[in-house]
Amino acid sequence: MNDTEKFEVEINQIKDFVNDGRFDDAVKIIALYIGDSTEDDYLDRLEEIIETLLTLHGGQTVLRFLIENLVIDIPSLLENLSKKDSVLRYTFLLLLRTICEKECELFLPYSENLVNSEDPNVREAALQLLIYMAGGDTIIEDESLIKAILIKLSDEKDFVVEKAIQTLKSIGEKAPKLMTRILTEYAKEISDIPDNEEIKNYIDQILKSIVSVDKIEEIVEEKKAQKELLKDEVEASESIVSKKKEDYLGKKESDILDKEFELKKKELEIKKKKLKLKEKERNIEEKVIQKKEEVLKLKEEILEKKSDLGESIEVKIPKKLKKKEEEIIDKEIQLKKKGLEIKKKKIELEEKEKELEEKEILEREKALKIKEKLLKRENELSQVELELKQKSIEQKEQKIQEEEMKRVEEELKKSLHKEEKTKED
Amino acid sequence: MPLQPDHILKYINNEADTKNKSELIELLRNTIDKLCFEDCQLDRIACTLQPKCSRRHLLKLRIKSRLSIEDLPKFCYSVHKGVVERYFRNKTVIYRPYDSFLYLIDFLDVFFHGDYRKLNKFISLNKWEDAFKIFDDRIHNRGEKFEYHKTDNYLLFKFDDHIHVVFMNEKYVLCNANRENIASLELLNGICNLYADIYFPEVKMKYVPSKHVEITLKVPYEVLTKVSNEPSDNNSKADQYFWNTFWEDLNALTQYCDQINLYEDKNQNLEIILYVSLLSNTYTEEGNKSALRFRDLRLIFNFITRIYTEYFIIWVE
Repeated sequence: MNDTEKFEVEINQIKDFVNDGRFDDAVKIIALYIGDSTEDDYLDRLEEIIETLLTLHGGQTVLRFLIENLVIDIPSLLENLSKKDSVLRYTFLLLLRTICEKECELFLPYSENLVNSEDPNVREAALQLLIYMAGGDTIIEDESLIKAILIKLSDEKDFVVEKAIQTLKSIGEKAPKLMTRILTEYAKEISDIPDNEEIKNYIDQILKSIVSVDKIEEIVEEKKAQKELLKDEVEASESIVSKKKEDYLGKKESDILDKEFELKKKELEIKKKKLKLKEKERNIEEKVIQKKEEVLKLKEEILEKKSDLGESIEVKIPKKLKKKEEEIIDKEIQLKKKGLEIKKKKIELEEKEKELEEKEILEREKALKIKEKLLKRENELSQVELELKQKSIEQKEQKIQEEEMKRVEEELKKSLHKEEKTKED
Repeated sequence: MPLQPDHILKYINNEADTKNKSELIELLRNTIDKLCFEDCQLDRIACTLQPKCSRRHLLKLRIKSRLSIEDLPKFCYSVHKGVVERYFRNKTVIYRPYDSFLYLIDFLDVFFHGDYRKLNKFISLNKWEDAFKIFDDRIHNRGEKFEYHKTDNYLLFKFDDHIHVVFMNEKYVLCNANRENIASLELLNGICNLYADIYFPEVKMKYVPSKHVEITLKVPYEVLTKVSNEPSDNNSKADQYFWNTFWEDLNALTQYCDQINLYEDKNQNLEIILYVSLLSNTYTEEGNKSALRFRDLRLIFNFITRIYTEYFIIWVE
């Protein structure tokens, strides 16, 4: 039997197994068949298997088993398919569609690496698989993956860029809030770079496709609800803190409170700095006004002198005036510069404030979690205590019962003795 | 009523102002270009699995108009070539690439990979003996199964049931010819000869330029004598065929042949002469005779092959 005949026998066997629903056996044969391949014929064998599975009813199930059992591993498969013709590559991707939609955990772990592959065909295929995954039930919320896809908007190959746009759109449909945030952040990041107009257009295009009026309302409502929730949580936590402060949870809670106080201190410091800055601004503005007034006075004086002295002095005064005017303009420019610097500082401070607020929220969340844990433990302890008390009560009851029993027995014995004595008498 | 395709066709045919016509056609051209180069190709997966024109017929428009590869949507063409190749190698395809046009060099690459550069050179320089040597070597020494036939302007290949026509002047190839019209009488005669060489070598063929191809086949007197004079319960194969199917076949063939004549020759054999031209006897919606297609020819050849193999040749067991 030569190689082609052998191959035909094996392929027919696989077909028979799949048609009979003996998927495990089919997987075993395929594993052996692929395992026997050499470097030269690995691709051909893989293609033959894919070809066979493409045409079979139940081929998808076998394929899923092959992926699950790591007979076929997705990264090397995509890399190998890249060397084959586009028809096979894309038809095979289509075959993976339902598996991607239903069991995306099989593919998601590889996605980021594949999206960053050196081979554009692999990048394209990985993005297509992500589109299929996003079309399923799961919501893709992996920020680093989304950012990796975002970077592909500036890929050297147009078809990868197009696929990246499609991928972001389909992921964004289910996670519009997250996608909007990441996209806007990215847009801010690249806003200073002049050559990025195209990418900005792509981002615009993606945002338009994922953010409808309804979704904007949803996002706003969600944000409001989140804020309210946070407020409620904070209030609740504060009330819990005040109630439980005196109890045995004191140490950890006091730590949290200390942190809260520190944060408040920082807030106050920031407010102080803000006030100082505002004062500085006012001072500068006042100085500017003073200077302007001086200039005006000078101009008035000159006009008066003009009228008094006549044309002879006209030539000398303008020179002095010009100098002063220039000086004033320079000062004005310097003041403007200072104003801009102050604005910058303001923005920086605002940003820092935001960061601090975020940190505060995070810490509050952490504190809440710790409190929850402590409360749980407290409950557990009180339950244990209750149980212990119940046990001790039960033990005491048992003791009392036993003692009573003994007492009754002794009394009975005594009464019996008495009766015997009376009988003897 | 909204604008219908008919309205546009009539407008193009009847409009006197050529400026208006050219404006409309320019609009169509721009739309086609945008579809091919931007909308369809941009997403390669969609272009491969669901091209925006059915079976990539817009490629045919460009290739038949003798545009160079530079003026073709390249990815689309590469997929198209891939589909032809996969179909040739019996692999799964999204659609059967019937009536697909490829450039000669790509056709040679798909069907004669390994020799395609040499073949392209020999064909371009009309070095037919060298080219035929390669074909014969492949058939006799490399186990490849195909037949070929050359006419003045065409080179025909038959791989299994698929016919491929090389248009030598145009340097393009019609692959898996099926619904495409037969372009010329020379080509029609070439295909008849190709099939005759393979399936019915003793059938007479006569090429009447600018008119038709005459195909004469015989049913020998010995066979006819075995057929009953009237329909009977006799279940002989000849009886069954000549009383039941033969007339139906002839009736079907009248649609595709210009004329069918039946004679009895001097030896009392039945002579059936089929006159095949470029026009069939079916009519278009406009009332014109429709052109003969490759698939129509297949029906004619099936009939001839049946008569030839079952009633003309004496098989020696």
